[in-house]
Amino acid sequence: MPLLDIRDLVTAFHTPDGRVPAVDGVSLAIERGRTLGLVGESGCGKSVTAMSILGLVAAPGVIESGKILLDCDGRTDDLVTLPERDLRRVRGGRIGMIFQEPMTSLNPVFTIGDQITEAVRLHRDVTPALARARALEMLRLVRMADPERRLDEYPHQLSGGMRQRVMIAMALACEPDLVIADEPTTALDVTIQAQILELLGDLRRRLGTAILLITHDLGVVAETCDDVAVMYAGRIVEQAPAAELFARPRHPYTIGLLAARPTGRRSGPLTTIPGMVPAPRDFPAGCRFHPRCSFARLPDCTTHTPALDEIAPGHLVRCPFADALGPPRPSTPGTAP
Amino acid sequence: MNSPPLLDVAGLETHFPVRRGLLRRQVGSVRAVDGVSFSIAKGRTLGLVGESGCGKTTVGRSVLRLVEPTAGTVRFAGTDVRATHGAALRALRRRMQIVFQDPYGSLNPRMTIRAILEEGLVIHRLGTADERLVRVRAALERTGLTASALERYPHEFSGGQRQRIAIARALVLEPDFLVLDEPVSALDVSIQAQVVNLLVELREQLDLTYLFISHDLSVVEYLADEVAVMYLGRIVERAPADALYRAALHPYTLSLFSAVPTIDPARRRRRIVLSGDVPSPARPPSGCRFHPRCPLAESVCREADPPAAGDAVHVVHCHVAARELDRAGDAGAAAARITDMLARSGSATLSGGVGT
Repeated sequence: MPLLDIRDLVTAFHTPDGRVPAVDGVSLAIERGRTLGLVGESGCGKSVTAMSILGLVAAPGVIESGKILLDCDGRTDDLVTLPERDLRRVRGGRIGMIFQEPMTSLNPVFTIGDQITEAVRLHRDVTPALARARALEMLRLVRMADPERRLDEYPHQLSGGMRQRVMIAMALACEPDLVIADEPTTALDVTIQAQILELLGDLRRRLGTAILLITHDLGVVAETCDDVAVMYAGRIVEQAPAAELFARPRHPYTIGLLAARPTGRRSGPLTTIPGMVPAPRDFPAGCRFHPRCSFARLPDCTTHTPALDEIAPGHLVRCPFADALGPPRPSTPGTAP
Repeated sequence: MNSPPLLDVAGLETHFPVRRGLLRRQVGSVRAVDGVSFSIAKGRTLGLVGESGCGKTTVGRSVLRLVEPTAGTVRFAGTDVRATHGAALRALRRRMQIVFQDPYGSLNPRMTIRAILEEGLVIHRLGTADERLVRVRAALERTGLTASALERYPHEFSGGQRQRIAIARALVLEPDFLVLDEPVSALDVSIQAQVVNLLVELREQLDLTYLFISHDLSVVEYLADEVAVMYLGRIVERAPADALYRAALHPYTLSLFSAVPTIDPARRRRRIVLSGDVPSPARPPSGCRFHPRCPLAESVCREADPPAAGDAVHVVHCHVAARELDRAGDAGAAAARITDMLARSGSATLSGGVGT
């Protein structure tokens, strides 16, 4: 039984212009101690998936169907039907959260120490002194320079990288089984991003925490994740172990995304994906990628939603032509150019 | 390299006053740009890279005098931009345009696309109404949009289309030189490639010269001829793009390149993880500004500002690199030595964070 098992999740927003299915039938599983990267461009539904797990989808959004099963100590809870009172215990307790912008996720009028202490005391019945000791221990764990002094400082006194370390300390304070990190390094500079990714990797090895890493950066995924799921227009279009996905992408969208990245000096124009990412209210019928697909555009593509088929062990692709696309499967793995 | 540079910047300084108290007395200054020199030949692209707060955006704005430099000279096509005023400055500005990062914030939401594109022509009193419309249409079409966009408003367009509109607005005045300030950073990957291709096409068709400001090292490697790396208000290294990406000499450049996550294991470098954060430009460190974070810092680095070392095309400001260049004789061997020293300094980890 995986730690988290999302089955056929549908989350839609009911706006004056009609129903907008931001997440439309997503199934995902995260095993204990593994890192799953959920990648896609703006509006693909990756953040709404995360918010659905946490029960934080704001009106007019609503989880219409599906299950989100969290396994814990032999008990399985469905987070979709769990009462808010119990969900609050899950958030920050069994599931920790790290968001993109630490400045807006931290409360500017409380000290760093107050905020970590609060996170601890919400979930653990401990004395204020013990909670403060735990906060200090967490700041040391995330390798914050000068942790005693930081406890009494306010968020604005810290740099972006330090604030993100505080977020990580808060997320890990109650030893969660799963951490959801939504673009945790997108707002940071590349040398600070390297520090934070190294820290997350180190903590995962030491604490055995599973991570759901939501990002648009394929490089970050390649260097940090065990498994990858690619989302497009509310659906997962491809899922595989990271090494397999980057060596042998099979969905036309994944292939296009990988090819669009500049690598090295210009030797010709960059490969582009024509058109633009559709807004959720304009999702096309059939395969949602078909208007931009440069491969097979058969009548089927415009009318039928392709199934997410397993074309190799652990490699799922939502395209009936997947076998014919992408680089060939070599007899010895790991020989990508 | 043989033709005289279109843009020549020497000793550029732009400081912002820090004011405190009731009387708003100046208590210090932020040295956003603190002694920057470079030149760009006609038709070439200089990539200006660095992390937030390094001053790269302020360089772009100072060149156009959108912010007033404190010292230094900026020469554009032989004219001293800082000594030019009034009508002459306006004439110069027609030839120097800028495209900003944020395609949402840089277009006035109350103006139609036609009015946005026409505004520059009206300000510069170019052409009759009919002639202006012809030029507006031509600029739109150059960027891959059609005349059907003319009477619409910015909110009706996606991020990628808005960035095309911002580029068209810059092109309508038929400039020679564009400052591109993070022009693709806010765009999705699939859209980013379209806009990068457009910028390359325009550069070739119109013989444009670019100052391309970006934190994205892959995009800069792809389209820049020459690259300058900034740290805390200064250029620390400058070289032709292929030389810099093959054999960078400055420890900061090397750590910056090594920090970029890549999907291609063959391009993965041994990661040099820097400790600490970038210091405040209001109180820059003594000596070499990178020394508090540099794994190779020696006592001389704390005391003396490193002078330029290297040759005419590959310039580096680093005491250690200067010594290694002297010792090794060529940049390739020196770069290998410095990379090796960084790897042995204990700050390097093999890349691959969480998954390994």
